[in-house]
Amino acid sequence: MNLFRSKEHVKRWSQFKPGTEAGMLSLADAMRVMSTPRHRNRLGTNYVSTLPETVPAFVARLLEVTGNSPFWDLRPG
Amino acid sequence: MNDATQLDETYHFILSVFVERGQAPHFTEIASKFAIPVEEGKRRLHELMAARLPNWLFPETDLIASFAPFNNLPTQYRVSVEGEQRWFAQCGLESLAMTWMFPGKRVTVNAPCLDCGEPLSVELLDGVIQRAEPRDIAFYVDLPIRKWYGNLPFA
Repeated sequence: MNLFRSKEHVKRWSQFKPGTEAGMLSLADAMRVMSTPRHRNRLGTNYVSTLPETVPAFVARLLEVTGNSPFWDLRPG
Repeated sequence: MNDATQLDETYHFILSVFVERGQAPHFTEIASKFAIPVEEGKRRLHELMAARLPNWLFPETDLIASFAPFNNLPTQYRVSVEGEQRWFAQCGLESLAMTWMFPGKRVTVNAPCLDCGEPLSVELLDGVIQRAEPRDIAFYVDLPIRKWYGNLPFA
């Protein structure tokens, strides 16, 4: 789970795995993934007990950002 | 007090200590915070770390290794708040979530690119990317998200 200077750098990386291109996100999309209540609300005093309520928005954001990519699909399949 | 409330309390305390000092508390500090016996503090820590959150202990210890978005062991993701570098992020993705730990403050993530070793830098304020250098920074993970919890430190 790393940051690179560009997607070209990702593909050049010695540990890049061909076939996992879906694992690349732009910085803006990565920020969107990390911006639902699942991550925004961590400082809340009831974060753990309310975590199940944050799952649907997180799953929806992942699918929205990645165009329904199976690589980013957390739903039981 | 029910278990859910205890988990909430312990989680909030650990995260708050990370925000304040950049390092995790020891379980004895959990015990002090809640005025409970030391062994109870240790139990609370282990109970929380077993709650299937992106947090883990150093193997075979009672020491927090990682507690998203923070890392208790230095990583390449150095995090500064208002110019002061005191924190490390768990990974590239969680480095972006650092912005939610410091509301109203300018958070900067500095790291080397793993391909070339050249620096990259992202500046965030309340969830908004203020600056990225270079502009085309990309995130990459080689494991589908459903498999992350199989071995979180290596996802």
